[in-house]
Amino acid sequence: MSWETVIGLEIHVQLSTKSKLFSGGSTEFGAEANTHVDLIDMGLPGVLPVANKEAFYKAIRFGLATGAKINQTSSFDRKNYFYPDLPKGYQITQMTKPIVEKGSIKIYLDGSEKVINITRAHLEEDAGKSIHDLFDGETGVDLNRAGTPLLEIVSEPEISNAKEAVAYFKAIRQLVTFLDICDGNMAEGSMRCDVNVSIKKNDSSELGTRAELKNINSFKFIEKAINFEIDRQTKLLENGESVVQETRLYDSEKNETRSMRSKEEANDYRYFPCPDLLPVVISDKELIEIKENLPELPEEKEKRYVEDIGLDKSEAVIISSSKAMANMFEEASAKTNDAKLVAKWLVGDVSALLNKDNIEIDESKLSAENFGKLIERITDNTISGKIAKSVLEDIWENGSDVDKVIETKGLVQIQDESILEDIAQKVIQSNPDQVSAYLNGKDKLFGFFVGQVMKETQGKANPKSVNDILRRLLK
Amino acid sequence: MDKKTVTTISYLSRLKIDDEKEEKIIEDLDNIIKFVDQLNIIDTSDVAPLTNPLEKTAKTRKDIVTAKNLKKDLLEVAPSSNDDYFLVPRVVE
Repeated sequence: MSWETVIGLEIHVQLSTKSKLFSGGSTEFGAEANTHVDLIDMGLPGVLPVANKEAFYKAIRFGLATGAKINQTSSFDRKNYFYPDLPKGYQITQMTKPIVEKGSIKIYLDGSEKVINITRAHLEEDAGKSIHDLFDGETGVDLNRAGTPLLEIVSEPEISNAKEAVAYFKAIRQLVTFLDICDGNMAEGSMRCDVNVSIKKNDSSELGTRAELKNINSFKFIEKAINFEIDRQTKLLENGESVVQETRLYDSEKNETRSMRSKEEANDYRYFPCPDLLPVVISDKELIEIKENLPELPEEKEKRYVEDIGLDKSEAVIISSSKAMANMFEEASAKTNDAKLVAKWLVGDVSALLNKDNIEIDESKLSAENFGKLIERITDNTISGKIAKSVLEDIWENGSDVDKVIETKGLVQIQDESILEDIAQKVIQSNPDQVSAYLNGKDKLFGFFVGQVMKETQGKANPKSVNDILRRLLK
Repeated sequence: MDKKTVTTISYLSRLKIDDEKEEKIIEDLDNIIKFVDQLNIIDTSDVAPLTNPLEKTAKTRKDIVTAKNLKKDLLEVAPSSNDDYFLVPRVVE
């Protein structure tokens, strides 16, 4: 029997507004517990929520960028459940009239392209945080996060395996960071995801019973949790048992999913329109303004890099893969007149350093200005490409200024041809055997002489000048 | 409206219903639902659903932080708290 996997993702994206969705409380991450809690976030009697327009604008940017329908009138509903980090006993969300419906996004996997449809993206408020392990027998509650605006992006069940799910999540992350509506910081929980997994017989048109995997916050765990779940469900069905529709928690330490039975009985949210909030209307004028101010998107950047700047497709793909990378490229290029060389270094040496340190470019000490200057010093012949590599390593480690490194370490390229000629003469005199072999037709030895001169100059010679001089002297 | 439905609803609402009152509550809820059911007599198929009886649209806020740090006051009014957190009986998944 062969089985087919069907996956749908619900991604919660924290919108990067300054204040909360319905109150003037701050959304700053990492503040002292319970210092960013407004009376509205507490759900105290007599308060009324007022919607933050900026959250709508950010949601609309996402909608426009995914070719979705924007509901210019959208409304709020209450989702009722009890949990200590949900002070009001209900979450305000958009059930019946979400702000965004029916979009799509392209994902790329192993060189092929697939479109994943987005059912809807709606605004809702985040809950607070429960801290279970600090206090004996009690749970601590920090409500700083309560009321932070979330955009919940719901995909159609069109994802076929764990790798596609990760590619989809990455594509959404890339898009929301380019749109500047979310910082994409996974470690701080700015993006979290619930995964619906079911399997069905290959020839069946009916979907199988699904399990929902809750609150996964890293690419690695999405893949592992899904693969564990596919395996678990396949075994159940092959043994003639059935999958139970339930919420399961992924335990990254044990690499397994397990049932969250406590949530089962409460899974009746009794949605109804929130009587505290009137429908929010976005005018045509507002919509046009948002559309006109949409930033350049990854796909457009990639196209421009290839067509206007002349980068290789593979370079353009890597550079447009993240906003930080694209910014580094564009800002550093503005400092030089050789954008192609900037791209070559960014994709080559800089990417290698990123991989080695396992960080993103905006976490490194390399500034666009410094990087641009480094490339400039190669193009104006101050240093050779080889020396530039060692300068890069230095500024990578210490964040020091390119020109200072070149000056203090005495790395300036030797421009004076007479000095180079003297060195070349010495090399020729001290290697008579190689000289005669070369002159007798062993052309490959030319590289040996170049190498010797470079060695004598500690790499500071301009390779082109060395080549010219040696060719002249070795006739 | 039966006993099972009332038990489920009261659990979901975290309301405790005394045994001796249960029958009366079932009867009351039954009557309320029958009363509201009269609305179904009217054909509303071409009427758009009403999200709010005020039939107005919302005023919205600009994205500005206006809240002050109320930590001390808020923790003080909670049934149980320490210097930093609200405290509740341990909940673990």
